[in-house]
Amino acid sequence: MRVDGRKNDELRKIKFEVGVLSRADGSCYVEWGQNKIIAAVYGPRELLPKHLANPYRATVRYTYRMATFSVPDRKSPKPGRREIEISKVSAEALEKAIFLEKYPNTAIDVSVQIFDSNASTRVAALSAAACALADAGIAMRDLVSAVSVGRANGEYVLDLRKEEEDAPDAVDLAMAILPNTEEVVLFQMDGIITKEECSRLLKLGLKGCKMVYELQKKALKEKYMREV
Amino acid sequence: MEDIYWILQADKVYRFLQNNKRLDGRKFDEYRKAVIVRDFSKNADGSAYVKLGKTEVIAGVKLDLGQPYPDTPDEGGLSTGAELLPTASPEWEAGPPDPQSIELARVVDRCIRESKGIDMKSLCIREGELCYVIYLDFYVTNYDGNLFDACSLAGTAALMNTKVPKVENDKIVKGEYIGKLKFTKKPLLTTFVKLKNYILLDPSLEEDKILDARLHVATTEDGKICAFQKGGSGSFTPKEIESCVELALKKSKELRSLL
Amino acid sequence: MSEKKERKVSRKIVIPGEVLTAERKKLGANVFLREGKIISSRLGLLQEAADKISVIPLEGKYLPKENDFIVGIITSEKYYGYTVDINSIYESTIYKRDLQKPLKIGTFISAKVSRVNELHEAELSNVKVLYGGEILKVSPVKIPRIIGKNNSMINLIRKYTKSFIIVGRNGLIWMNGGNIALAIEAIRIVESEAHLTNLTDRITKFLEKETKVKK
Repeated sequence: MRVDGRKNDELRKIKFEVGVLSRADGSCYVEWGQNKIIAAVYGPRELLPKHLANPYRATVRYTYRMATFSVPDRKSPKPGRREIEISKVSAEALEKAIFLEKYPNTAIDVSVQIFDSNASTRVAALSAAACALADAGIAMRDLVSAVSVGRANGEYVLDLRKEEEDAPDAVDLAMAILPNTEEVVLFQMDGIITKEECSRLLKLGLKGCKMVYELQKKALKEKYMREV
Repeated sequence: MEDIYWILQADKVYRFLQNNKRLDGRKFDEYRKAVIVRDFSKNADGSAYVKLGKTEVIAGVKLDLGQPYPDTPDEGGLSTGAELLPTASPEWEAGPPDPQSIELARVVDRCIRESKGIDMKSLCIREGELCYVIYLDFYVTNYDGNLFDACSLAGTAALMNTKVPKVENDKIVKGEYIGKLKFTKKPLLTTFVKLKNYILLDPSLEEDKILDARLHVATTEDGKICAFQKGGSGSFTPKEIESCVELALKKSKELRSLL
Repeated sequence: MSEKKERKVSRKIVIPGEVLTAERKKLGANVFLREGKIISSRLGLLQEAADKISVIPLEGKYLPKENDFIVGIITSEKYYGYTVDINSIYESTIYKRDLQKPLKIGTFISAKVSRVNELHEAELSNVKVLYGGEILKVSPVKIPRIIGKNNSMINLIRKYTKSFIIVGRNGLIWMNGGNIALAIEAIRIVESEAHLTNLTDRITKFLEKETKVKK
């Protein structure tokens, strides 16, 4: 039995809200369990200084930052190495989804800010970022849907909470896919597993990502169903 | 590229002002709609989300331990920071705080600190050695004018629902609290901008972008003024300042009633 | 019993990556082919004809196309010409040698996009100065709806507001004279309800009501 009573393949309560910021080209707010995250997109726009721009495709710049009060022990406002690494792999995950060649020489700036957290922030943020990109009208071959999957207390579970991440036998795998082709674009793991466990986690993770995809799809369409 | 729009909007703004109107239909001394959501972040010791017009700010409080300043050995500390997030406006980029965010943090800090609303002595654990330090951080997620009032409203709301963590053996015990922070006075900033000879309360984005000068007045629940800040390269006459003060005392009550 | 006439979404809303059909059809705008299936690349409305399939985007920046009619704003002067904000990724340039008179910063112009390169930079021709008036910026993808079939929507707004309106394909709309405030309100409604049915009816009723009140 999981700490919060969930089934092993059950996600926490997740709500995406698209188009919430008036200035950004695209935006998405997500509440994912205790996590509260805002993602915003500006672009495609001119990339300055010019010499940093890629003349053949857009450059995705992803900034993942956590608020000082978003974690139990106050975090320094300066970005840490963890945030910088997450920013890098997240940008790379999105690059596969976007038709980058359609916007040569430009920057697509994605900014995600975490205000409250309880594990799996990077996958929640990435999923929100994908919605924000679609909201910005950027051409993509697919959304990016992400989830955490792993092992805690002998069970293979979807969407780990902090208590599960801290379990003695914990395995925490962050996974993101292009949902319609099942291409894996983000894949990071902490823990020790066997080959068989890897296959098992991949299967469970794919299932979880697709569940997230349904929620993202609903949120994007809902923006236009809202009473005007 | 953005700048040309503000210059062009300026013509329109002044045309409206000449007819005693503002672009969004407000009176010169009218606040936009304000929304407060308390306790926004559970990991924070206190927090609040504020939406003023379309400006959105999230304030969070975390208490940590530190050493009292030598000149106030029996008092705790307050440290305020603000970040203008890249989500909020096309021209803001991620990076270390710039002068705009530093001024914002310091003015809101003075509003709260000078009001003496926080019982700093209650934050002393061992005189001269150990005290609580309040870290108050603002994150602006959408910029639609008047960051100052939005932040001070969020900051005061956050402090009002801040809990003080338990300390054992000189360490904070995570997840355990000994009560609410002793915070009174409900200090708030009221911002006026000067556009040529017009003085407007609660500037919209266009008004913020073309202002000649701004005046921030900090007031408390008991009708006192505890801080001033004048910004921008224009000026105010003493009479204008006095009428702003009177209006600030009156209008801050409206925002205060939401707390 | 006056109720809001039913507001339904006029077409199916699709998202990037969504499979539209496995049938063999011509590829229109904002779709691509993968393993025999036609897929949407944008968040938009599905437009399916007997032989062709497209997606009308609901969001997105303006990317200039040859022969587009646009409205622009002069943003700066260089020794050789002027830079023009055309509400796209890049500004365009107008060369002094192509002009009869000098231009001022902040001047509104209308022009035709004569050439576009791979970087989406546009060259302009047929530059005309628009005197006075003001500019409204709208989402460029909503411009077709604001213009309407055979100019039906924009003419409706022109009629009731008696304002001289020039619509740029790039999302910049120039208005002069008449009831500009009403024109802006009407255009904003079209912009936010472009994907709903009965829009023409609603706009007509709205303009009728607003102009009656005036008298």
